[in-house]
Amino acid sequence: MIGGGAAGLGAAGGVKAADPGAEVIVYTEFEDVAYSPCGIPYVHGGEIPDFERLFLAGKQAYVDAGIDVRYETAVTAIDPAAHTVTVAGEGAVRYDSLVIATGWNYADPGVPGGDLSGLYYVKNIRKAMEWDKVISETKAAVVVEAGPLGLEMVTALAHRGVETHLIDPNPYALSMMADPDIMAPVEESWRELGVHLHFNTTLEEFLGDADGKVRAVRTSGGEITADLVVISTHKTPETALAKAAGLDLGSTGAIIVDERMKTSAPDVWAAGDVVEIPHGLTRTPLQGLTGSHAYAQGKTAGTNAGGGDRAYRAVYVPWGTPAGKWVIGGASFGEATATALGIPYVKGEAQGISRARYYPGVQPVKVKLLAEPGTLRLIGAQMIGGGEGIKERADFLAQAIRFGMTLHDLSTMENVYSPAIGALNEPIVVAATNGVAAAKAK
Amino acid sequence: MASFFGWLRSNSEHYLLVAAHQKLARTLGSPPPRPPKGLKELFWLRVFAPVYALLPWPVRSRIMRAMPGSHRQTWAPPPRSRGPAV
Ligand SMILES: Cc1cc2nc3c(=O)[nH]c(=O)nc-3n(C[C@H](O)[C@H](O)[C@H](O)COP(=O)(O)OP(=O)(O)OC[C@H]3O[C@@H](n4cnc5c(N)ncnc54)[C@H](O)[C@@H]3O)c2cc1C
Repeated sequence: MIGGGAAGLGAAGGVKAADPGAEVIVYTEFEDVAYSPCGIPYVHGGEIPDFERLFLAGKQAYVDAGIDVRYETAVTAIDPAAHTVTVAGEGAVRYDSLVIATGWNYADPGVPGGDLSGLYYVKNIRKAMEWDKVISETKAAVVVEAGPLGLEMVTALAHRGVETHLIDPNPYALSMMADPDIMAPVEESWRELGVHLHFNTTLEEFLGDADGKVRAVRTSGGEITADLVVISTHKTPETALAKAAGLDLGSTGAIIVDERMKTSAPDVWAAGDVVEIPHGLTRTPLQGLTGSHAYAQGKTAGTNAGGGDRAYRAVYVPWGTPAGKWVIGGASFGEATATALGIPYVKGEAQGISRARYYPGVQPVKVKLLAEPGTLRLIGAQMIGGGEGIKERADFLAQAIRFGMTLHDLSTMENVYSPAIGALNEPIVVAATNGVAAAKAK
Repeated sequence: MASFFGWLRSNSEHYLLVAAHQKLARTLGSPPPRPPKGLKELFWLRVFAPVYALLPWPVRSRIMRAMPGSHRQTWAPPPRSRGPAV
């Protein structure tokens, strides 16, 4: 395995499950494996008290599982014809099967000043521990781009009492996947937390002081003073090794794989954010999915690399995250992405509640469903709520899309009603019923 | 060749989303994107996006599927609904 992230470790487990006797080596450039990078923004935000909690398994756990993890060891080349990888400090190492799980990097912001100190790319846990101390001394920060990690970092910095500015070239946050009506309450809650939002604003330069440390960013809307800049540009696949080895890459720039996660090279598999996977409805390939996708793909790649047989499926991309005081989520297409692709849709919306209206802690849940005109087959969903049930609805709706359910199916679906955990009128049912009515009225 | 398709994909993805934001701003009353600046943005937003919008979805879908990528490999077809469980 090249890579010790979710995909590389999923693959290592997959190989062992298929062939317990296999010799498994995982190379990673990092000092650790088996920690959850996903928890880093929540330690920065103070919701999780320390970084130690993010470690899921100690180093001994891999030794016990018969997986040889080589920490801080870079692979510098792949030779698919010779079945070798070149490893720093080890030279050429032969493999029978190789899994490339080199993951992703933040896109280069591509403006002058990128070499200044004070620019934080959130990823590695050891670095995060050091940056956490920096955040304690930070007065003002700029977050560059409102992608999923940007959203989490804006909220985290605001919770830490840092004067936080968000700059994004688009008109609203998370605009590459979410809809503006879903994001409007999130933005309002950021403003309540004191966050300064600068949309339709392009980054032009990082400005430094005499010591080479960032002191401000220059943008299309003027200069913003900051002693910390968090870069959360979109994810790009880390394909340098694969490209140099001549593997086929797709239009997203990521490695082309099939359902067994096989690449174009013999005995080479790939998984995680370094590959592209087709969308279940349009078949358009997508890259840069989530850690859970990476782990499941890794298991598939590893199982096949170990001589087993496992298939991964096209994706319907359930997603969700806390943002400001809300939790947002969805599956497949929203209005913005469907409109961009030119996919026609009818819409059913409802503003509901998460439990009985009289039960303490009841929270709002807004559901928006998109369906194919005519058949009313579900093609996407987006939601915002106070927290509970958003993730579960996103998971369920992704399955509903995958299995071709219609607004009719959802409008007649059974749902749990128990005052403390569910309302009599399930918001999905109400949204679907409204969607059926809207389709009839057209 | 892959880099040409990469260039096409990243530009079309970006500018079609900007065009969608413009449309949603009109229909939902959400904040609009900033107006296009320079020849490149004018081309993608004033020529490419409207021409793309004129093509029917099956044609667009066929063009997208013709690009190199994982979607052209073997993938299990989407699940079909089965008969009743009992
Ligand atoms: C701050 C943060 C928050 C996140 N939040 C979420 C979340 O809420 N939900 C979610 O599902 N996912 C989340 N993720 C996960 C994430 O977005 C990815 O989907 C996931 O990291 C992809 O896993 P991967 O194994 O493909 O790649 P990566 O995690 O990028 O792992 C790549 C691995 O490859 C190694 N590597 C790369 N090149 C080489 C080389 N040449 N030689 C040796 N080793 C190499 C690296 O050392 C690393 O171990 C988060 C990630 C971060 C950083």
